Amino acid sequence: MLATSYKFEFFLRLFFIFFSILTFYFVAKLVGGVGMAHLEPYGGDYFSFVLIGIAFSGYLMTALRSFSESIRGEQMMGTLEAMLVTPTSASAIITLSSLWNFIFTSFRVLMYLLIGILLGVDMSNANIIGAMAILILTIICFGSIGIISASFIMTLKKGDPINMFFMGTSELFGGVLFPITVLPEWLQTISHILPITYSLSGMRHALLQGYSLHALAPEIIALLVFSVVLVPSSLLAFRYAVNKAKVDGSLVQY
Amino acid sequence: MQKGFTDFFLHPLAKDEITAVEEVNIKIEKGELFGILGPNGAGKTTLIKMLCTLISPTEGTAYVNGYDIAKDSGKVRESIGFITADERSFYWRLTGRQNLKFFASLHNFYSYDAEKRVDELLSLIGLENRADDRFLSYSAGMKQRMAIARGLLNDPAVVFMDEPTKALDPGAAQNLREFIRERIVKEQRKTVFLSTHHLGEAEQLCDRIVIIDQGKIKVIGTIGELKSDLHKPNPTLGDVFVHHTGKEFKEEMAEHPQSGRRRMVHGMHGGRMRGMRF
Repeated sequence: MLATSYKFEFFLRLFFIFFSILTFYFVAKLVGGVGMAHLEPYGGDYFSFVLIGIAFSGYLMTALRSFSESIRGEQMMGTLEAMLVTPTSASAIITLSSLWNFIFTSFRVLMYLLIGILLGVDMSNANIIGAMAILILTIICFGSIGIISASFIMTLKKGDPINMFFMGTSELFGGVLFPITVLPEWLQTISHILPITYSLSGMRHALLQGYSLHALAPEIIALLVFSVVLVPSSLLAFRYAVNKAKVDGSLVQY
Repeated sequence: MQKGFTDFFLHPLAKDEITAVEEVNIKIEKGELFGILGPNGAGKTTLIKMLCTLISPTEGTAYVNGYDIAKDSGKVRESIGFITADERSFYWRLTGRQNLKFFASLHNFYSYDAEKRVDELLSLIGLENRADDRFLSYSAGMKQRMAIARGLLNDPAVVFMDEPTKALDPGAAQNLREFIRERIVKEQRKTVFLSTHHLGEAEQLCDRIVIIDQGKIKVIGTIGELKSDLHKPNPTLGDVFVHHTGKEFKEEMAEHPQSGRRRMVHGMHGGRMRGMRF
């Protein structure tokens, strides 16, 4: 309700998606066939590659920002205390507060894909079920990272190391703008410990090349392993952070 | 600045800790309007926030409506309403009705039930005609009535009020006091735990009061008992306060019909709660 009360900002954000996509469309024209060997596993077209990268990396950015920003936003507005005195748990409040951001990100991803198709990206062979499986696991992994990030905000108020680490490394090592095979081998090791690498790789294979669930198994298994580690870790971290803030009396401080 | 520049680097993790509430032992009867009085920083708000499960005690425990605040915090929150004078605790860009419906959803109301309950409360606080105006257009008195409506959404057994008349002009404050006494306590039979530093307000409203200072109970009882314990002619609640806290008052222009508005001259700094015992 609050987000839709800022109607101008909503339409402005949608409008600038076009500019973002057009920028990469023309960059792709410039790049042409350069680095074709690296793009071959994803269909060989740079514009298709980068379109999926910037569209779906939005989920990571949303997860990293929305949980911690919703806590900080409610703290600064003064509404957090009134929310936490209700029977709804703190974790449910934070998750629900971020829901709008995830809905808007999904809408934005849809816009990216539609505009991409209009500009010639071929998704005629897309495996929608495979893409949905990757998407669900992606949201679970990224959401968990976002909740760990929010736990740091709850405790430290500012200077969250999780946010800084993933923001700083994902674009460079996660295969958002270029395939990770472009990186020297020793740097690719970092790529392999980031969930975004598997999310984007799986999504490209599912949407651009129509890989079957069986062919997507390496990415699905990797994301499942990340989920198994990250989900309980995030819940524990958040519970610890809330309890610590309650003992310190700093729940609504910012 | 709390720390010097050198301290910032030499002791980066050191924290300033203050015992805000200590060895507090209170029992409040059902349907009672109980007041907690103290100067700014005495620990009133910290105590209320502990009972509302917003702050955890490092020692001891308390029961609210029969539930342990540490072990059954969810049940405690189902049983209570929290009314604060902080008007920032609402979404100013939303209407009064939208705000109440949002908080009703956090109390697990279904949409239809939420609408019904919100209508009842808007009628109770007399804001039905302004319910669809944005919160930012409300006067201070209307905002405070909205806080009361929000505090009553879940029909709580116990209502905590943290200085509910703080931001109101004398007329609005008096109306609110009457509303609390007549509608919330007499009519709805709620148990009310009210913090204030207006002695007249406590005198007008409360069945019993506790005076706390520096996080500790100084005295507890009915206002009549506390006055008669002074053994002096025509004692005021201000005399009781000075007797037990040793702090002077500065009398301001009368806001309250009986004893005028009084405010503490000597406050204390609030801080983090450590070592509370109930």
